[in-house]
Amino acid sequence: MITTFLGHELKAFWRSKNTGKSIAIRVVMGLLILYLFGCILLAGLFLNEILGQVFPHDDIVVSFCGIILLYFLFDLMMRMQLQELPTLRVQPYLHLPIKRNRVVGYLAFTAMLSVFNLWPIILFVPFILKVILTDSGALPALAFILAIIGFMLFNNYMALFIKRRANLNGWVFLVFAAALILIITGDFRFHLYSVRNISYLYFGHLLNKPVLVLPPVVLAAAMYYINFAYLKQNLYLEELSSRKASAYKSSTEFPLLNRFGKVGDLAANELKLIFRNKRPRSTLVMGLFFMFYGLIFYTNSHYGQTWYIFVGMFMTGIFIISYGQFMYSWQGAHFDGLLVSKINFRDFLKAKYLLFTMVSTVAFILTTPYAYFGWRIVLVHFVMYLWNIGINTTIVLFFANRNAKRIDLSKGASFNWEGVGATQMLISFPLMITPYIIYLPFSLFKHADIGLAMLAGTGIIFILTRDFWVKKLEEDFIQKRYTVAEGFRNK
Amino acid sequence: MIEVRNLKKVYNGITVVDVPALQINKGESVGLVGNNGAGKTTLFRMVLDLIRAESGEILSNGEIVAGHEKWKDYTAAYLDEGFLIDYLTPEEYFYFIGGLHGHNRTYVDEVLVSLTDFFNGEILKKGKYIRDLSKGNQCKVGVAACLLQEPQLLMLDEPFANIDPSTQFRLKNLLKDLNRNKGVTTIVSSHDLNHITDVCDRILLMEKGVIIKDIATSSSTLNELEAYFGVEVAPSAR
Repeated sequence: MITTFLGHELKAFWRSKNTGKSIAIRVVMGLLILYLFGCILLAGLFLNEILGQVFPHDDIVVSFCGIILLYFLFDLMMRMQLQELPTLRVQPYLHLPIKRNRVVGYLAFTAMLSVFNLWPIILFVPFILKVILTDSGALPALAFILAIIGFMLFNNYMALFIKRRANLNGWVFLVFAAALILIITGDFRFHLYSVRNISYLYFGHLLNKPVLVLPPVVLAAAMYYINFAYLKQNLYLEELSSRKASAYKSSTEFPLLNRFGKVGDLAANELKLIFRNKRPRSTLVMGLFFMFYGLIFYTNSHYGQTWYIFVGMFMTGIFIISYGQFMYSWQGAHFDGLLVSKINFRDFLKAKYLLFTMVSTVAFILTTPYAYFGWRIVLVHFVMYLWNIGINTTIVLFFANRNAKRIDLSKGASFNWEGVGATQMLISFPLMITPYIIYLPFSLFKHADIGLAMLAGTGIIFILTRDFWVKKLEEDFIQKRYTVAEGFRNK
Repeated sequence: MIEVRNLKKVYNGITVVDVPALQINKGESVGLVGNNGAGKTTLFRMVLDLIRAESGEILSNGEIVAGHEKWKDYTAAYLDEGFLIDYLTPEEYFYFIGGLHGHNRTYVDEVLVSLTDFFNGEILKKGKYIRDLSKGNQCKVGVAACLLQEPQLLMLDEPFANIDPSTQFRLKNLLKDLNRNKGVTTIVSSHDLNHITDVCDRILLMEKGVIIKDIATSSSTLNELEAYFGVEVAPSAR
């Protein structure tokens, strides 16, 4: 039975839409995972040297013992954000003649199959083998490994348990998140206590008394049992699923958009799409974080204006790039409806331009405080803002006509590969390169200002000739519409 | 109203729709029946220019459908949930659809009031997005959105499948009223032979992409259809 379950689990992974279907995506994904894995493994292998560098005055074993609990504290935070509940997958088995204990045991067991449970092992075990094993012997080393696995499993089941409770009652999550933040600020902001010292207190003693390994192991077992018992009691669909008990959803309006007529209505719908669905919403939020991107470059005089172009383009246009690269997949679920409705495709395209222009304008306004680093930066931002709403919007929409991959809006954005295809790989080249094709020839011959002016000019020309591009894009779409609609119908 | 000429659609070497000629006149109520895979939905989609035919053409009011948009002015259709914008509330969706046809909100509200019985208190002011409604209620939203557009041609794909018995009766009455009193041409597909013979004056029976029967509904039509679909049942067993 368990092997059947595991077989289904493997199939679910390889056949899932998030995994991506084409070979190219699998290869890229595999490389990315290998790269991440390699980075952490390297960090693990050289942890003794890293610790020596960071805490030059302390013994490396002392600093190692100090960081472990700290790591698990942040691990718990990350898990709360990113780890997914492996729950709805049992739905097809609930009504079959399979013992509840087995289903629950399966659920609880598969919860361990998470990348989060790989990281502490590859990060800490090399150090334990290199330093602790040689210094203190086999027994303390084994105790360390067991203790780390114990904390890891405790965190694993703790995060899942909180998430399950939070599904029924949103306050649980808030209270828990507040508690975590209080613990962290209590240490780093107010210095009431030090997690590092507590961690050292425990792991330092573990070196001499391996018996102390028991508490984390017992904690992990207890947490597993709580999870198991809770799941067994609450093995009902509505309590398992991640759909929260929904509040009253009211209709909203964007009065500002009303003046744009049908185009405004379409743009308003798309704004609602963004605010009411998980994945586009996280795309927007990530775009907001990008507003701090400039701090990396502008605080360092090492980077010149050539870099500012790049940074300016990203900050004022991140939404166009990150959201626009998946167009019109966002609307894939109701694309048939749009095609049949009395919507002029030109209006549809104009609504996209309107949306991009609005969001980019907001982004540009948000980046004006960078004037602190010199008004020239704001000027570069403005030039790139013109570039974004003039050219990048058109590039993105050109590729949108070629994109026929459906996206499930309700899934989160992290590690979600649904909708990713060749389009997203291809689109980055023109977006990154074209501004430099115009700018670099001038800047290399010491006429950077003319280069900037050329960028701004090109942007303005494209904005003024927008109607022409809309017409071209419409003609292009009419050629491709059947393929696009067909692709979106493939669930 | 609708004219089909030499229409053919092939998927992976299998012909899924093959209609040499079909004429649907203004004001007719046509029922489309056939087992799964008979090509009903594919035919609907081609009439709505959602998929490209291998060969042949469809004319709506004398104008070729493919590549033209004039038919959108007088055609309303609900085939599946893919026609609904599911992150909107029903009200928002109705206003949006109404707006596309130049109707203001008071007009939309008036139409919605006339549909109070049909909605049965399940749709309006419930504080839910369309995606949170049950399939039956989503179907009500889709049908209501069609009515808002005041169509001359109305196409529904299996509208009776998910809705409750009361709504089935109300929908039947709605369809009859639209067809008989307002002259709307209706094309409806269904697996429920009772409903379809009740609502439609003309039945098209499809099998493997071909229209094998074209019957004007009479008292014997139901028996005729039951005889066709009840292939396995021996006459003595009934």
